[in-house]
Amino acid sequence: MVSISFLNPLSPEGKDIVRELGSFEAISQDIPELRNIVTHNPSQEIVDDDEIPSNYLELALKRMEWYIKKKNDRNFNARRYSFLADPAITKYDVISFYLLCQAIGVKFGPNSRENRVMVEAQGDLVQERLSKLHVDEARMMVEQSLQLLLADDRVHWTFFEELLSSRKIQLTDLILDQGELILDQEDFIQRFGPKIQHRNPLSMYQLLIGDELKEVIMVKLIMQATEDYIKQVNEKARIMVEPNPILLELADQLAEVLSEPMQRYGYGSNRGGGGPMKIGPLNPLAFPPCVKTAMEGIKSGGRNDAIVLFMTPFISYARLYPDVFRMNVTKRVSDQDPNLEIVENEILPLIYEAAENCQPPLFDDQPQEKVNINAKLGFGMHPSLKLEHEGETTWYTPMSCEKIKLHLPHLCKPDDVCKKIGNPLSYYNRMMWVLEHQENENSDDGEEDSNSGMGADSLSDVGMDSGDENLGEE
Amino acid sequence: MDLKPANPNERRQYYREEWSVKDVPDFIRKSLIQREFGFDHMGRGPNDRYRVFQNIEYLRKFMRYRAPFAAYSSVAFYHKPRRRDGWIKAELVFDVDAKDIPLRSCGCANVCEICLGQAKEIVQGLVDTLSGDLGLSDIHIVYSGRGYHIRVQDDLVTRTDSDVRSQVLKYIVGSEVPRSEYSHDGMKYNLEHFTIPFAYPKVFTDRVKQAILSLDPSMELDGVNMKLIKDAIKHRRLLENDQWGIFRKNIGPQRYAKLVKGIASLNLTLVDAKVSIDLKRILRLPSSLHSGVSMKCTLIKNLESFDPFEDAVPNFVFERKD
Repeated sequence: MVSISFLNPLSPEGKDIVRELGSFEAISQDIPELRNIVTHNPSQEIVDDDEIPSNYLELALKRMEWYIKKKNDRNFNARRYSFLADPAITKYDVISFYLLCQAIGVKFGPNSRENRVMVEAQGDLVQERLSKLHVDEARMMVEQSLQLLLADDRVHWTFFEELLSSRKIQLTDLILDQGELILDQEDFIQRFGPKIQHRNPLSMYQLLIGDELKEVIMVKLIMQATEDYIKQVNEKARIMVEPNPILLELADQLAEVLSEPMQRYGYGSNRGGGGPMKIGPLNPLAFPPCVKTAMEGIKSGGRNDAIVLFMTPFISYARLYPDVFRMNVTKRVSDQDPNLEIVENEILPLIYEAAENCQPPLFDDQPQEKVNINAKLGFGMHPSLKLEHEGETTWYTPMSCEKIKLHLPHLCKPDDVCKKIGNPLSYYNRMMWVLEHQENENSDDGEEDSNSGMGADSLSDVGMDSGDENLGEE
Repeated sequence: MDLKPANPNERRQYYREEWSVKDVPDFIRKSLIQREFGFDHMGRGPNDRYRVFQNIEYLRKFMRYRAPFAAYSSVAFYHKPRRRDGWIKAELVFDVDAKDIPLRSCGCANVCEICLGQAKEIVQGLVDTLSGDLGLSDIHIVYSGRGYHIRVQDDLVTRTDSDVRSQVLKYIVGSEVPRSEYSHDGMKYNLEHFTIPFAYPKVFTDRVKQAILSLDPSMELDGVNMKLIKDAIKHRRLLENDQWGIFRKNIGPQRYAKLVKGIASLNLTLVDAKVSIDLKRILRLPSSLHSGVSMKCTLIKNLESFDPFEDAVPNFVFERKD
């Protein structure tokens, strides 16, 4: 019988395992039994003895290495990580999970790339482990996990508020009735059976909910719980004097594991090649239709949103950090433009030009919006850009297409390229590549630039939300 | 009826003779000191903002003496409404503006009985989904002067963030085509949205039906050519009896997919999404005068029997000589 904690280390069983371990003393010590389990796994391929995890810390790093390689390495060999799907490692795996979360919590915090990768890796690992179980056992495990994760038999959809907010699940994917999520077969048939015609209600249940939806919800809940736990650790760490050095060391090693594919494959690009994109002058020919429209000026409502929330992040990232989504690393404007010369001479003039083209010109009646533009560049609510203010606010990432459709629907007039991307910045990168490619083809030497950024959108290809108010109007 | 703007004298007459502070809905009066109020005095937008009324009497005096062109109150509740600071919660709001309905069959320049009737139908559908699928019950409908506001007060949703609200919005308007491919035991099956008579697929079916029945040959839909619109119109009577399978067959499965995809993206414009997502929005105050069209912003007791041209016209309109 597989333990629930193999899927969800944050379950009561998982917490018991952590309690049994007691102190940090044994964390770095060799665990012969763990090596034994790995070497005796029939599916395991061992190329080098160094690959066998010998203690909790090495196992923790292996967990992350598995995810990063699986995502980025075309030559990924799953058999070198077979032990991760072996329930025999449960009690070691649970400790490794906690160590990772704590290391990320104390060193990187909840808004870091490390946090995001950890949460995604946990989700993938749960799915991987389920896929290796017999179908009946997997079904039972999902049922049991859900019982623990869902507070009640009857769950209101707002229970999933966090999952909906982080878009881990879509409300439209849930089967709802009177506000409740329907997962149970009997409940389903009782509620919907009378409405179903020409079909067997039971087979409809199996298709619409069955194993698939339950598994999705379970996995997403575990991911959310992981994220919440890291956040909790981070909050505690802020009031603690000194984090355990073992955790800090693990955090550094983890950063190395995560940075390797960035150097080798380009994290999040799911392809070979990569490396940072070239940063250079903006090319308006590569702008997506929504940016071109905004540049001409907004002649209807929503001037503030268009200039402050949409154009400011787009123009600044396109010029200074076009592969933010591919790199998945948060930066400040000054990381890319130390003296703010590019911001002052290239970025702000372009944003101001778009503001001037509005009808009426935005700053004529709303000069305070210049302060809001500075805030969205990360320089706080101040009338001028000063390095000492940087960090008071966040440098907003460009709005996703989905958000533009909601906030600024009149800007969204998709062309053929738009269908392939989820963010205007990805459009810009793609078109820059195309334009560069054409240029190369037209020139005599015709060499391709393998470092150009045609990276696919990563999961984080989503702009931040507006915290601003709009004037109320109908 | 001519929806002419109200002049300053008519505004004063309305606030002194007809308006009563008792007409301000309970749900606003009870939370008066936690809300921000905003006013438009010149008809150029609400630029007199950050106002707070310590009691209902102060509000009464302000409205009577200032007779604003338009009055608004926040959907948000604050600890410090004067600074819009200390956000506590916000009503979940949906704004259906008759002049912005994507498939208007009237073609009027402003609003008229036809498009206001269409707006009412849309609102009814949205409210049914909010209460039926989403289990929300504290729902108020307000006639805004040019359309309708749906104001949801259930504690379950008033603390949700913009992302959750946008998911609710997409659910109730039907802006995502439900998937049609499902699998079980390694086998793939196809279930079109109209074969699932409950949950989101049913919501989507209802919205698509509403849209196709309102289609007009002159209308434009993303990714849908004129021929396809004409074909949809030609066969749409089948949908009156819910014969979706035959309708889809007549249109052709691939063209049908294009049609519903076009309608799905159009559905996102049934409501003004920005209003729903904004956690600090100010919204026209029920009972106040919409001076742009000379109508009363009115809390509706019964949507079915509500007629804006009967129930939301101020007295001064009937006294006009021209």
